[in-house]
Amino acid sequence: MDSQPTSLQRLHNVEKRLVRVLELAGAVMDELASSTGPRAEFLAGHCREFMMSIKEIQTTLREEIKSACEYRPFEKCDYSARIANEICVKKLEYIIDQLDGLKESIDNYED
Amino acid sequence: MEEGGRRRISIDLDRLPIKRLDAIDEIGNEQFPPDVSHEEKRLGMIRRIDFSSIVADSVGTRKKQKTTPKEAAPAPQQAWPWQGFVENLQLAHQELSVIIDLINTVEANDAVAVSGMQRPKQLPNENLSDLAVSAATKLQRLRNLGRYFKQSSKALELKVSREARFYGSLIRLQQHWKLKRQRVLAGPGSDGFSFDLLDNTSSDTTMLSRPLPNALVRIVRENAGLLAIQRPPKSFRCISISYTGTNFSSRSKKPLKGNIYNSVENPQANKKAALTDEDVNSWVKDTHSVLREIHQSIFLEQVFDRVNHESYCTSPGIHVTGMLEDLLQLAVGQDTSICMSLVSVKKEDDFLDSRGLSQKGNNGFTHSDSSALVANNEKDEFNQNNLEVPSPVGLEIYLVHIFHKNSLVRLKEKNFSASRVAVAGHAATESCGLTHFCKTVAHRIFSTKVLAEIERLVSRIPYVQLLSHPPWHSRTSSWSLFLKFPESVFHTACLSESSNNYDVKGLIRPQIHTKIVVKDDQVTVSGEGALGTLCSFGISADGSSMDSYGCDLDDLPLILLQQVSLSIAYTALFDRKALLQTNVLTIAGQIIRWLHDEALIVGMKVSRDFLCLYLELDQGDMLGLVARVDPDDVNGCISWWMIMEDGMADDGKFSTNSGEYKNRRFLGHLSLEALYSMLMDLVNVSTNSLGGS
Repeated sequence: MDSQPTSLQRLHNVEKRLVRVLELAGAVMDELASSTGPRAEFLAGHCREFMMSIKEIQTTLREEIKSACEYRPFEKCDYSARIANEICVKKLEYIIDQLDGLKESIDNYED
Repeated sequence: MEEGGRRRISIDLDRLPIKRLDAIDEIGNEQFPPDVSHEEKRLGMIRRIDFSSIVADSVGTRKKQKTTPKEAAPAPQQAWPWQGFVENLQLAHQELSVIIDLINTVEANDAVAVSGMQRPKQLPNENLSDLAVSAATKLQRLRNLGRYFKQSSKALELKVSREARFYGSLIRLQQHWKLKRQRVLAGPGSDGFSFDLLDNTSSDTTMLSRPLPNALVRIVRENAGLLAIQRPPKSFRCISISYTGTNFSSRSKKPLKGNIYNSVENPQANKKAALTDEDVNSWVKDTHSVLREIHQSIFLEQVFDRVNHESYCTSPGIHVTGMLEDLLQLAVGQDTSICMSLVSVKKEDDFLDSRGLSQKGNNGFTHSDSSALVANNEKDEFNQNNLEVPSPVGLEIYLVHIFHKNSLVRLKEKNFSASRVAVAGHAATESCGLTHFCKTVAHRIFSTKVLAEIERLVSRIPYVQLLSHPPWHSRTSSWSLFLKFPESVFHTACLSESSNNYDVKGLIRPQIHTKIVVKDDQVTVSGEGALGTLCSFGISADGSSMDSYGCDLDDLPLILLQQVSLSIAYTALFDRKALLQTNVLTIAGQIIRWLHDEALIVGMKVSRDFLCLYLELDQGDMLGLVARVDPDDVNGCISWWMIMEDGMADDGKFSTNSGEYKNRRFLGHLSLEALYSMLMDLVNVSTNSLGGS
């Protein structure tokens, strides 16, 4: 479970697997269509990988669908807190300016 | 139908590859010539040109009873080129008659038993070639399929990465902003996503008179899958406060550097470069910054709207002197006025200003034609570093802070009183933010002036310290003047008579503490002289009662002008000189009192007036130490004179007429230690003289 911590990453891995499955299918077809005839072990390996990937995709998707929760929009809208933070940022910038000014004047005195 | 003896070149015009019946017997069995493959047909045709040989029938068995007309005519040469054609037609005619007979027989419903006709068994090489053809076709199809799969896997990978970029950015932004989706597609390239920046929970929508179309920001999808937003027009505005007639304003915001939304109207991803994670990251960050700006500007518009609303109601502290669509001018204090305007930061919006006024620079008033809105007072000495007035940046921050806090309070009240009966006049109990703001600005300007005066005073008296006590209320300021007397005999004397000491805390060095408090525009001066201890030396009653006078502001107007405390209340007619003079008088008076007490300790006969200390010498002589207070004196505010008088004076006090110059000596500006040592010298003089008498 630790290898894919978030469900988003799991779903991303599923997508990557789908791409890989398609590539395998293409490789198998090419192998079958080769003029010298298909190599059995090559085909067997690819098909095994194909089937395993499909199985894994299925299990992952099933889990994700079961565990997907209801999306509740606009819960705990924090826009006013965000505004408060912006005001604090402005205050801090102002104070930093003042402190810089103080420091400059102190430096001027020391010179 | 061969004609013998004629030499003819056989040119076969037969193009009908019909299967011709070889034979049909009475039962109805048809016999067809065996299938000739394409190659064989070609070979056969080639061989017909070959005169010399009749190649044996290479295909089929010898079941046929009639040779095919094709192979039947290799040898004879016919002069007439159409002869073969004619023969073929005749043969075809024969076959057709056979078939017609058969059909007539069938039509006549005779019992015709038709048995199934099987395809003749293929020769092995026919089988092989069929197999080869089908195998080749299958291979071809498989190859196509393989190519198709690979292409689609590449396309899927691209699509997956594009979607991952878009939805990854969307998820990151969705943690901070409200996301809305409309299923109806607004246009190509957008999925109907948009960010809703309007805060419905805490804003009072009934109060808004400004429509806010900018609150819904559309999301578009770039070509490479990156998320971008469409910035609504006139969306980057901020409140700028400036002092009317000057350039001293708070408008210093610049658009963000390096933001992708600054260079072009709609940002486009660089198509050539491959998109990396940092690119996606920087896009998300830029989008987030732009959303922050838009959100802030919406809030500032709401604040400005609310300011306008509050300026409509007449309050004692608000004086509106001018109003435009995006601009409000207020008079604060006596001779300053500030101008609040909603300006936009982006340059394009400047040109789109509805009034045609240039928003660059301070405000629109200087360009306006209406003279009624000209500023009250144009001070030229305002500049960026001016400390006389509070900085506009600070004012802007404070204004926004007030209104945000008020909105939160209103929200709480609304939630709290939702269950109670709705009060129509509830708005009256709300604190009016604009009043508070204007009063604060007025107070700040006033207190700066007060502070300037006090600093002037303190810089001239070296032994007075100025402390400032910042109160946590925006309309109050307080300072205190602190005067510490040097270590004296008093202290050691108290120590020697330690039997009656109350506690160690009481044995403090004598000090004078004067507090100056400014509330709105009222100045209160109160002095505490804490000699602070009770000793058995019998300090006079008014000395011991000094420290029990707290600074009770309510009682201060009732306290008469005493040496202990002075209370002065000024209204808007503020007289700086009087304040200064009062302060210095207080200090001088307290110095005199201190000297008086010191002298009493050492046993001199002294008496004092407000600013004079009289020492009794023998023979009735009086020595006087007079403090002269001059606030405008550059060298120092308090100077000391020594006056000598004979005992012939009528009332034992000095006359203050300036006629007796010869008895006065100017001592200059003395420090406290110098005064004390001088006093002690005088003590010696007086004791000697006493002793001597």
